[in-house]
Parts: sequence; C-alpha cells; structure tokens
Amino acid sequence: MDWILDFYNYRVVAQYLPEFARGLGSTAWISLLALGISLSVGTITAIMRMSANPAVWRFAAGYVQVIRSTPLLIQLYLIYFALPALPLLGRRLDEIEGGIIALGLNAGAYMSEIIRAGIESISRGQTEAAMSVGMTYPQRMRYVILPQAFARVAPPLLGQTAVLIKDSSLVSFIGVFELFGAGLVVLNERLMPNEAFLTVAICYLMIYTVMLSVTGYAKRRLGGAAG
Amino acid sequence: MNDVILSTLPFLLDGLWMTFKISLITIFFGSLIGAVVGMLRTLDYAVITYPLGAYIHALRGTPFLIHLYVIYFMLPATGISWLQFDAFPAAVIALSLYTSTYVAEIVRGAIQAVPRGQGEAARSTGMTALQSMWYVVLPQALKLMIPPMGGVYVIIIKGTSIVSVVGIAELVRAGEHATQRHPRDLMLIYGMTALLYFAYCYPVLRLARWAETKFGSVRLPS
Repeated sequence: MDWILDFYNYRVVAQYLPEFARGLGSTAWISLLALGISLSVGTITAIMRMSANPAVWRFAAGYVQVIRSTPLLIQLYLIYFALPALPLLGRRLDEIEGGIIALGLNAGAYMSEIIRAGIESISRGQTEAAMSVGMTYPQRMRYVILPQAFARVAPPLLGQTAVLIKDSSLVSFIGVFELFGAGLVVLNERLMPNEAFLTVAICYLMIYTVMLSVTGYAKRRLGGAAG
Repeated sequence: MNDVILSTLPFLLDGLWMTFKISLITIFFGSLIGAVVGMLRTLDYAVITYPLGAYIHALRGTPFLIHLYVIYFMLPATGISWLQFDAFPAAVIALSLYTSTYVAEIVRGAIQAVPRGQGEAARSTGMTALQSMWYVVLPQALKLMIPPMGGVYVIIIKGTSIVSVVGIAELVRAGEHATQRHPRDLMLIYGMTALLYFAYCYPVLRLARWAETKFGSVRLPS
C-alpha cells in the first residue's frame, strides 16, 4: 500500500479536512451571493436590452460586450485593486466583497443573454393577452412573461451557474480563502501538489455532479429548454 | 498620465504578443484533439463513448486553474522524464485540453445536426463509413461549426489570462509588472490591459456573430 501513500497521502488529506470543508463552504456561499447578483443584473440588463430607447439598450449591450470580451481576472483586479474608495461605503471594498461583485457582474452578462433569449421565446400572444386584461408593463413582466421565460431557460441558467462556481476559484488570486485556496494551503505547508489539487478537483466534481443532476431534473420537470 | 501610458504600452504589447501566440497554438491543438474526440463520440460504441464522456465531464467539472496546477505541479513530480516541462508547454497543454472539451461538443453537435438521411444515402451508394463521413457529412457539418468556434477562440483568449500564475509573461503578467513600476496608476494600467483584451476579443465575437447569420449555428453547450 506504500505506493498509494506515495501518490496520494490520504492521512495528510484527513488532517487538512477541516480546511477543505471550510473552503467548500466558502466557495458555496460566495457563489450563492454572486448568483443572486448575476440573476438580478442579468434580468435588469435583459429587459434594458429590449428597450425602445437607444441610450438604454446600447448601455446594456455595451455592458454585455465589454464583460464578454475581457477576462474575469482583469475584471477582478479592476474592481478590487483599482477601485477607489466608494462614496457610499466610505472605504474600499474588501477582497470578499470585491470578489463577489466582480463574479456577479461577470456572470450577469452571460445570464442576461440567456434570459433575453428566454423572454424573446415567449409568444407575442402572451403579452397581448396580458395587455387586454389591463396589465401595465411591470405587471406583464412580473406575472406573465418572466415566470414563463425563467422556466424555459432554467437548464442553461443552471449550466451558467456551474461555470460561475468554477470561476469562483479565481477569487483566490485577490486573497479570498475558498476551495482552491484550501488546496494552496496544503501545497504551501506540505509541498504536496497531488494531495492538494486532486482533493480540490474531487470537491469541484462533487459540486458539478450535483449541478448536473439538478439541471437534469429541471429539464425533465420543465419540459424542453429553449435557450 | 501620458508618459505612464507611453512607457507601459510597449510592455503591454509584448504581453499581448505572448497572449496572441499562446491562443493561436492552443486553438490549433485544442481543435485537433477536440475534433477527434467529438467525431469518436458520435460513434455508437460504449467502449469509446463512455471514457470520452468521462474525459469531457472531468474537465468540465473542474476549474481551469486546477488543470493548470495539476499539469504544472503534479506531472513533473511523478519523476517521468518526458513529463518534465516548463511553464509554457504546461500552459499550452492545459489550455488545449480545456479547449478540446468545447470543440468536441461543437463537433459532435454539428455532426448530429446533419440529417441522418445524408449519411445513409452516402452509405447506400456504396461509400464506406469513413468516406461518407469525409465527403458528405463533414463538409455540411463544418459550416455549422464555424460560428461557435469564434466563441471558443474568445474563451481561449480569456483563458490565457489565467496562465499568468505559472509565470508566463502574457498580457495580465505584463500589466502586473507595470503596476509595480507605477503603483499609483493601477486603474489606468489594468484599464489599458482590459482595453487590449477587448480589442482582441471583440472583433472575433463580431466575426462569429456575422458567421452565424451566414451559416447558421449549433448551440454551444454551457
């Protein structure tokens, strides 16, 4: 059994298990908060994208294109290192806030494209029917269009969420402790890359498996995806 | 401010050149591996498709950062002589493998989007399975692959930013060096870096959009 200990010393991993668990938890709640931001930003920009006012839709389109054409790493650096003190906050963002906001804004652009595809796939008759019962624009969106659109694009949104979770590993670069950071701790303290990164990879694969089955469930439950 | 721009721009352009080189090499090898994996996955042999499916899921389920560290730290530590490589080959290998999963899904999707009757008609005229693939199915599938490949190329360009951690002097790394020289102009320097990425990626995305209206497209799996 020596060769196993040579390749992957599970005793060391067991010793660092609390560290990995803490990292996993940190990854989970960072992703969750970023997901909340990205869905709100995504919905708002998707609606702005379809506005008749050129200033409004151009702004939304520009946001999506800028995010899609630059790497997340640079977005993280710009928001965390380069952002001066915020007037409302009275201080600079700390690394966790910066990381979550950057992740949320990044994923928001991709979510926005998916949500827009969902809204556009809802037939015009739905809008007309809602108008004919006297609903205002916000009411139509809130009660008729958005619920159907979200149900239809739930699978691709979940897929993008899986990407968001993987991307959250990059916030370790600005000094946030999360799952990947737990691997770095093992690498730095014990110089054991196998134990560090295989364990982290296994944790990410566990998250991915859960996401896959949730996506599969959503597909079956909500019928064929349109996005 | 002007002299900061003038003095850092040459460094950043050097970095952009490195980003350009890595992305070109990667799109080549990534497409090659991906095309093979994707075509093999359209076959009906479980012995082939299951391991390849596992390969794609394993790479899709873990962050690219992990692939990079596994290839850069773990493989050389095995002590096998041909696995001893520098940062540059490690970065290109990791990025190519990562890219291949996207390409494989596109190739598979495009081949499956060609109506079955096309392949069957080709077989019925006496073509072998390979001939029907090469002369009938692939040429039709190729058009569908072009637009999503633009998206993949942009994913690669953005992926190159991450290889800065193993010490490759690409655009992000060049930006980091420049900020050490001018720490007070952080925002400006990272802004310039972002602008250079934008200048590289945006035309590719536009081209992909244009190709999509011209050729139609298969959906990129998310």
